[in-house]
Amino acid sequence: MDNLLSYIDPLLDGAWVTLQLTLYSTVLGGVVAFMAGIGKLSENRATRWLSICFIEFFRGTSLLVQLFWLYFALPILGQAIGVDLRMPPLLAGTIALGLNIGAYGAEVVRGAIQAVPDNQYEAAKALDFTPKQTMWRIVLPQAIPEMMPSFGNLAIQNLKDTALVSLISLGDMTFRAEQLRNYTQDSTTIYTLLLFMYFGMALVLSAIMKILERYASRWRTRKI
Amino acid sequence: MKTPRISFISALSLTATALLFSTSSNAATLKEIQDKGYIRIAVANEIPYGYMTPSNEAKGAGPDVAKLIMAKLGIKEIRWVTTNFGSLIPGLKADRFDMVAAEMAIFPQRCTEVHFSEPNSSYGEGLLVAKGNPDNIHAYEDFSNNKLKVAIMAGADQLEMMQALKVDDSRMVTIANNADAISTISTGRAAAYAATSLTVSELASKSDRVEAATGFKDPIVNGNPVRSWGGFTFAQSSTDLRDAVNKELLELKKGEEWKNILTGYGFSETDVQESPKRTTAQLCTK
Amino acid sequence: MLFGIEWDTANNWVFAWSILPILLKGLVVTIQATLVGFLVALILGLVLAALKGARLRIISWPAYFITEFIRDTPLLVQLFFLYYVLPEYGIILPAFMTGALALGLQYSAYTSEVYRAGLESIPHGQTEASRVLDFTPLHTFMFIILPQAIPRIIPALGNYLVSIMKDVPVLSVIAILEILNVARIIGDRTFNYLIPLSMVGIIYLLLTLLASAGIRYLDKRLPKEGIPLK
Repeated sequence: MDNLLSYIDPLLDGAWVTLQLTLYSTVLGGVVAFMAGIGKLSENRATRWLSICFIEFFRGTSLLVQLFWLYFALPILGQAIGVDLRMPPLLAGTIALGLNIGAYGAEVVRGAIQAVPDNQYEAAKALDFTPKQTMWRIVLPQAIPEMMPSFGNLAIQNLKDTALVSLISLGDMTFRAEQLRNYTQDSTTIYTLLLFMYFGMALVLSAIMKILERYASRWRTRKI
Repeated sequence: MKTPRISFISALSLTATALLFSTSSNAATLKEIQDKGYIRIAVANEIPYGYMTPSNEAKGAGPDVAKLIMAKLGIKEIRWVTTNFGSLIPGLKADRFDMVAAEMAIFPQRCTEVHFSEPNSSYGEGLLVAKGNPDNIHAYEDFSNNKLKVAIMAGADQLEMMQALKVDDSRMVTIANNADAISTISTGRAAAYAATSLTVSELASKSDRVEAATGFKDPIVNGNPVRSWGGFTFAQSSTDLRDAVNKELLELKKGEEWKNILTGYGFSETDVQESPKRTTAQLCTK
Repeated sequence: MLFGIEWDTANNWVFAWSILPILLKGLVVTIQATLVGFLVALILGLVLAALKGARLRIISWPAYFITEFIRDTPLLVQLFFLYYVLPEYGIILPAFMTGALALGLQYSAYTSEVYRAGLESIPHGQTEASRVLDFTPLHTFMFIILPQAIPRIIPALGNYLVSIMKDVPVLSVIAILEILNVARIIGDRTFNYLIPLSMVGIIYLLLTLLASAGIRYLDKRLPKEGIPLK
């Protein structure tokens, strides 16, 4: 059992990478979700089509395929057009995860925005709000509390998805666990430990999202 | 509802940050590496050729010799990269690292894709089988005659050896890591793992559910018993790096320190003596 | 060559065409894994839902914990666990079954929720009415509740089927020759990743669109009130 203690250090190193990756990709995913979700509702045909294509593409293909493509195939494309498109694993992982979770998040954003009652828009127009002001000050603050529960689920999903970056040699928790197992062959202890570490991180992430949810619901208007 | 202009600005700033992120590393020349102060070397977690310990220290015949050579070349820092064996050559080509220290076997098909240093180590083949060798396998040739499955590492030259022995694709189980071999054999997913002699003895020592096949003879391909010479691998544009490494390597091979490194990792006397007997030029000609 | 089929690296188009049959062989494995995994998820999900609905806390609480644990840990790690740890305790499954089991296990956590939500959405009046009419609980469940529940859960289950299909490439780590693994092997050997991986992406997109359209069609065909029994 003293093996357990020697495993903790490398796994914690990996946990730090996992945390960073989760943070970066969730932030990127959030930005992308809003851009694509709002874009899908745009009056501008081109924006709408671009958003729809983006969402359908990233929701319709496997995350691992996207990740491998970004890491292995994109550089070759770059070579063909003379641009250096090689990405370090952390960047490839962040982008793949962020875009993927962003596509799913976009649907959540869109749904929540559409759930805001029409009378809000009418009132805003009557009060001479510009479209931008309407979106930022009226619609989004009411839509965001609707989005939070789903965002919570997506955040957990994203955390789970980070394990895939171990397959492009990024030193996250799963990668370090594999390295340990390679060296010691102690599969049971290592994988059990790894599973519980992910579980723990997920619980913490869940709690954080719940706090954010409660904070955001202060923006909810009471039904008159 | 109009799209906020802000989304386009965020898109632009994201792309800009992404481009900033990417390390602009081209296939560096020796001078560039010496100026940068660090070299990126890849290993494939294969004990004892090149692997990382749990405390993230690089060890093995390749890394230990590489460390000595880099010191001589004035490169103070080595950034080690671990990857699958099958990704070593693609990684070199994609310039994800400058050099590979995994004692990759030097043979013609690889020479057309990458450059090799002069041989560092030499090694024979082996077979890992389940405890007690229930299928009574003692040579690669046995697979030409039976219907059993043989496991090989993705990207390793055992594939070519098996193909030369006319073993059908469907009977080869490919694994990505040496570590998976023990599980693959002990669970019966394959009858044996065909790998180098040292890999086999190393794996056999790790678990009592597997053992090295006794009475093993190197497979005979094209009339000669197979022996592999392993060396350092470079991208095709890194000729100056390779030449510099070669110079130091050949110096090192004259001394006791090099011999001790190899024997310390389990290479036999034969392995050490055979090492200088071939040049890369010879090994690369078909 | 792979699966006995040679590829032709003359130019990009010829290459793409020559690896298509190889990729399609991988696709067959992908679809098989998807269907078997889905089946396992449906069955295990039913078991979990039943356990969670049990009146004895000692049964339902562990079931809740297991569901939460499965939902909060990565499929990849669960797969490694099943593949490497089970054999240490004597349970040796072929790689394909291990992969399908991992998929099924991960998604059983989700399907059990779908079952629960579906069953709870049936108005309680249905059960009461059927009790008044002296139907046995089993008859109630099989012929009153279930036919009404099924149309409601089809869309959600269908979405999970598509999700499972998108998770199949994870199985490549245990050497299952599904389509992404095949593409990667081709890439490793020819050093041209762009063509195989792009083709896999396109094939996946087509497959997902097809599957989603199929589910929508099924959803339209099934009457909203319930499956008629006559």
